[in-house]
Amino acid sequence: MNFTENDLSDERIIEDVLAGKDGAFIQLVNRYRRKVFAMTARFARDKDDLDDICQDIFIKVYENLGKFRGDAPFEHWLSRIAIRTCYDALRKRRREKGHIPLDDIHYQIADESGEELLVAEEARSLLGKGLAELKPAERLVITLLELEEKPVREIAELTGWSEVNVKVRAFRARQKLKRILEKHHER
Amino acid sequence: MKDEKDELLDEMFRKARFMKPDTGSVEEHFETRLLAVMEEKRNDQALWSAWSWRLVPWLAIFVVIVGIGSFTIDPVRSSDLFATFSSSDDDYQITNMLAGG
Repeated sequence: MNFTENDLSDERIIEDVLAGKDGAFIQLVNRYRRKVFAMTARFARDKDDLDDICQDIFIKVYENLGKFRGDAPFEHWLSRIAIRTCYDALRKRRREKGHIPLDDIHYQIADESGEELLVAEEARSLLGKGLAELKPAERLVITLLELEEKPVREIAELTGWSEVNVKVRAFRARQKLKRILEKHHER
Repeated sequence: MKDEKDELLDEMFRKARFMKPDTGSVEEHFETRLLAVMEEKRNDQALWSAWSWRLVPWLAIFVVIVGIGSFTIDPVRSSDLFATFSSSDDDYQITNMLAGG
């Protein structure tokens, strides 16, 4: 019986990568690329930034693959690395002040009726401005909680913070966002 | 309890959730770029490793020269441990201290 590339388990591909097969790593990249890009796009400021962060994520995966113990699914391990890398990117960006985001990442909407698209785009743009003013940790938590709709427990696992910490950060982020959006409405 | 602003914020999140980032164009040839970056990193590491190995003999020569120099330039050696602690500089400082200088 022949196995196609898609039939191979993650563990089997990881064994091949650790044996020095770069081709196997590309299989792994192709398998999870879409998911990693989708998650990272919420935090990237433009296409170049998105590309850089995703490259960082997969390089970290490659360099640390030997540490993957296999007691949790590979996808969880990869997601943790992705979230930590996004968080690092947010913190780094906060230190580099004065950068003007190009916001050149395109967004799709399921129901592309003109008015709905316009309203959703406006909401996304306004939220984006508000989120940019939050602290990295608050932005990370509120994005995962409200836009990615991940439960608190999962966010705690991904970030390594306690559930209470996640809830506190989410609460603070909401309060700040409300104030920012209120100010925006007043203008 | 949720107020009006909370409801407005929830509504904005709901609308923004509809918008899924379209990363298709950035994903094109991503593997090629990734492999190129990984190759570059590997070459950098290999270069650094090669240079560090090349520097080992020079470092060894330097250590030997410093060792020889320390024996030839400063040949005053004493088996008396007290003599090594009480150098002329220390004597000068002690005298100064006792004299209130």
